[in-house]
Amino acid sequence: MSLAVAVMILLIVLIIAALALFLIATIVQLVKINRGLAVVIGAVGEIVAKTAPINGVLDAINSTLGLGSNLLEGLFVKKAGDDAGGLVESLFPGEGAKFLQRVGRRGPVVNTGEVYTRGVGILVAIGRTAPIGAAHVRAPQPATTVAPEPEPAPAEPPEPEPEPAPSGRISLRRRPDFPGTAAPEPAPAPPEPPPAPTGRISIRRPDFPGTAAPVQRPAPAPAASAGGGGAEAEEPPASPEGRLSARAKRPWER
Amino acid sequence: MIWLWIMNVILVVAAILLVGLLRGVLGAAKSITPTINAIGGVGAAISKDLDAVVVLLTTQNYISQIVGSLANYGGSLDAALPDA
Repeated sequence: MSLAVAVMILLIVLIIAALALFLIATIVQLVKINRGLAVVIGAVGEIVAKTAPINGVLDAINSTLGLGSNLLEGLFVKKAGDDAGGLVESLFPGEGAKFLQRVGRRGPVVNTGEVYTRGVGILVAIGRTAPIGAAHVRAPQPATTVAPEPEPAPAEPPEPEPEPAPSGRISLRRRPDFPGTAAPEPAPAPPEPPPAPTGRISIRRPDFPGTAAPVQRPAPAPAASAGGGGAEAEEPPASPEGRLSARAKRPWER
Repeated sequence: MIWLWIMNVILVVAAILLVGLLRGVLGAAKSITPTINAIGGVGAAISKDLDAVVVLLTTQNYISQIVGSLANYGGSLDAALPDA
């Protein structure tokens, strides 16, 4: 055997040995990869199983919430009528037109301001007829020591309060907290201790932060209130006392 | 004889190339293994985080009850307040 043939045989053996060594190492790594993928596929299967009902549940939740939203918006439009957009605009500026567009109504959006007079009239009418309303809507007490006489109960349920304006239009009122717009108001009477419940009707001023003590207005004539007409709602108040304020009812503003 | 030596040179060059290629394949295979293990850990963590998805069924039940109460409340308001 010549030297060249021996070298050739040696080279071939080396090549075969290198092939075997590297291929075996590669096979070992592929086996490890296979085992790792088996673990990953198990976890992915759990993920798929756990996320499978999400679509159905979320669709059901969305449809339920949509029904509730449509119900409330429909009720709001039914009760507020043309004032709906203005009420939304007064609470969330810029949203009144969007609300009207969403509920499919048209018309101008007039900001009702802080006080919705028609709502005040309705609530006063309800408060005079319902015991729970009378418990929350009290009459102002005159500054005398004579105990006022309780009002007679209305003979029949009163009808909804008429609008202050004869055409049912909404009047914007100036907010006293705007700078430069504060109108001179009469000096408030000193705060008195809360009177004993006498069954008379009054409207309390909402607790605005930073405002003064509530000022009581003179009591209406018994004859005017006995008819169920609601004297408080017929004449628009000149100051925020006794008004219902939607802003004060939002707890996140405190 | 000269052809035998030429063949030996070719075999040497082929062996060097072969070893280089096989080392590349083995290195790539070795780099996949830790990545697979990391993916497996993340998948297990995701699966554990998704255990709270079952609570969505409770949420759905609560929302149904709330909307039902809301409907009753709206009905009461509809009866109590006059229409526009």
